[in-house]
Amino acid sequence: MDNLSLITNFLFFTVVYSIPLLYGTVGEILTEKSGSLNLGVEGTMAVGGIFGYLVGASADSLFLGMVFAFVFAALLGLLFSFLTVTMQANQNVTGLTITTFGTGLYFIVRQGVKEITPLLRLTKMKAAVNSLYIKGLSDIPIIGKVLFQQNILVYFGIFIALIVWAYLKFTKSGLRLRSIGENPAAADAVGININLYKYLHIITGSGIMGWGGFYMCILMSGDFAGSTTVINGYGWIAIALVIFVNWNTLTAVFGTFLFGLFRSLSIYNSGIAQAFPKVFGWLTAIPAQFYNMLPYAATALVIILASINKRKKTGEPAAIGLNYYREDR
Amino acid sequence: MSSKKLVSPIRIVKRDVQNKWLLAALYGGGILLAFLLGAVLLSLLKVNPFEYYGDMFTIGMIGNRYFTKSLENWIIIFVPLVITSLALSMAFKMKFWNIGGKGQFIIGSIVASAIALTMKPNTSPFVLIALMTICGGLSAGIYGMITAILKVRFGTNETLLTLMFNYIALNLLFYFGETQGAWNIFLSKESVRPLLAKFPENAWMTTIKLGDFNLNVSLILALVFAAFMWFYLAKTKQGYEISVVGDSISTAKYAGMKVNKIIVRTMFLSAMFIGIAGAFNVSTSHTLTSSMAYGDEGWTGIVVVWLAKLNPFAVVIISILLSWLRYGCVVAASSYTTVNSYFADMLQGIILFIVLAVDFFIKYKVVFTKRENAVKEKN
Repeated sequence: MDNLSLITNFLFFTVVYSIPLLYGTVGEILTEKSGSLNLGVEGTMAVGGIFGYLVGASADSLFLGMVFAFVFAALLGLLFSFLTVTMQANQNVTGLTITTFGTGLYFIVRQGVKEITPLLRLTKMKAAVNSLYIKGLSDIPIIGKVLFQQNILVYFGIFIALIVWAYLKFTKSGLRLRSIGENPAAADAVGININLYKYLHIITGSGIMGWGGFYMCILMSGDFAGSTTVINGYGWIAIALVIFVNWNTLTAVFGTFLFGLFRSLSIYNSGIAQAFPKVFGWLTAIPAQFYNMLPYAATALVIILASINKRKKTGEPAAIGLNYYREDR
Repeated sequence: MSSKKLVSPIRIVKRDVQNKWLLAALYGGGILLAFLLGAVLLSLLKVNPFEYYGDMFTIGMIGNRYFTKSLENWIIIFVPLVITSLALSMAFKMKFWNIGGKGQFIIGSIVASAIALTMKPNTSPFVLIALMTICGGLSAGIYGMITAILKVRFGTNETLLTLMFNYIALNLLFYFGETQGAWNIFLSKESVRPLLAKFPENAWMTTIKLGDFNLNVSLILALVFAAFMWFYLAKTKQGYEISVVGDSISTAKYAGMKVNKIIVRTMFLSAMFIGIAGAFNVSTSHTLTSSMAYGDEGWTGIVVVWLAKLNPFAVVIISILLSWLRYGCVVAASSYTTVNSYFADMLQGIILFIVLAVDFFIKYKVVFTKRENAVKEKN
């Protein structure tokens, strides 16, 4: 029974701690499908997280927190689209600047709000993200806790991933968006409003990333003022995951848990090795930093293999990273 | 159809001639605006912006008997930044997106530290530091060259691959910095907790005593390197090849250049110099550092190169300004409880946003089209 609960907890926390990646990845996929590579995921998550947290905690409302996390992160998306779409600025530099600016702002605001912490109430907001209990399903051993006793934001994240998947695959505007990412000149020629599409999807994508940051602020740090939680590299892993799952948000759900598994193995490896010395004893022989490196190494491998194997069609938008300037056609 | 409504009254046209004065005025105004926005935020945090900026710009030198120490600390930040930025400008001039500066910096630092901590203590400082520089540079160069080889061989996306390589290197650094064991030469043998070892004295970067001020030799080397980089890019055949490949690969091929060789060579050199910056950094700070932010010169360097428009002299000036700003914020943070040193990141971000927007008016100009023309164009 002890071993059983160990495995259950391990898988349970894998899900809890990997969902922010899903939000970041889904947001970035929506952005990249419009042909824009936004390297500002880390900064966007940080900004959405802290402002969503501040509003949510002062109003003590999960809903308001979600709304404002989206809005503030979307503002950075607006900035990114204004600079890269309208002002034709370089996407790499703009994205990196969003990360520098966003994380900088996060730390400044966090330092600045320490004094108003007593005003921040968490009772209702915390209660709203308690683990759910579904009669029957939640009682199944292992799977019950891992799959059916998560908090509402876990299910919401998966729901968003499904929605975006269906949107890109089945709707007319999803198809148009993909055509912009593949060949903006051709899309322009058939009369699609390129700038409007780019703006809308970059902004929405950034808003979804903001939810990831908000999730981290309320579910992964506990008391905010004293915590040291940063969006510590999740934004970068999200960018890696986009490539790893081949720009598919449905695959992203599974990819998220795989990458999350790597991360939680770096913490749980010795526990699991002790419980199952014969089968998993080797887990301790691998250093924790190796598990943390795995997402990047796996993605690097995917990037290389995909470029070697050109015949296979990847989900990577052909015009990614390139600005569209009409007169250059 | 409502074609008239769809045609916008303004059109954006590429600018042929660049007006230097307009450029200076726009940039100057932009930077001023950034500081103004910073001042607003400072006021919101109940900090007097004049006092804060005062502390920041003087980096704590005013009214300080040991003001030379501030200058020495600033040099420690400036040297790796300027070398990294100059090195990045090589790759960027070729339009090769080396955003792996962070990883290359880390690899160079790790290898240089390994040399510093394993060589015999009686090795002469000159030989040891030279060896650290060479090995740190070569290892980082190879680490960066892998992406270039893949790029020319298979067309692998270098932006994303160098990005991944950053975090592979970072986790390697964490591994050496956090794992205790008899094999781990990077950790101090005396400490119970994992603590990165201090280098023996012969691995310390030489300093020249000028009164109270200890001039770090790496500063002179960095400035010599800047002059070299200007010469290399502007006056040599290889520098010319880089700019042709950057402008158009097909032109370069047509002119009979071996494009693949040029890309691999340039990327190797770019990464190598970044590795050397890492070697200088560990030698100047006398130890390797293991933190999430280690090697962020790779990020800031991109900002520097972008602001400097690939001009080596401008790279030096902007490196001075940005490292001054960053160190100034570290100094100022010690006297204000509500503002920490991340203020530098934020300010740097705002400055770059404004410059990115201003660049538009330098590359393009807005023309008001007459209605008839607009309609004609639509048809």
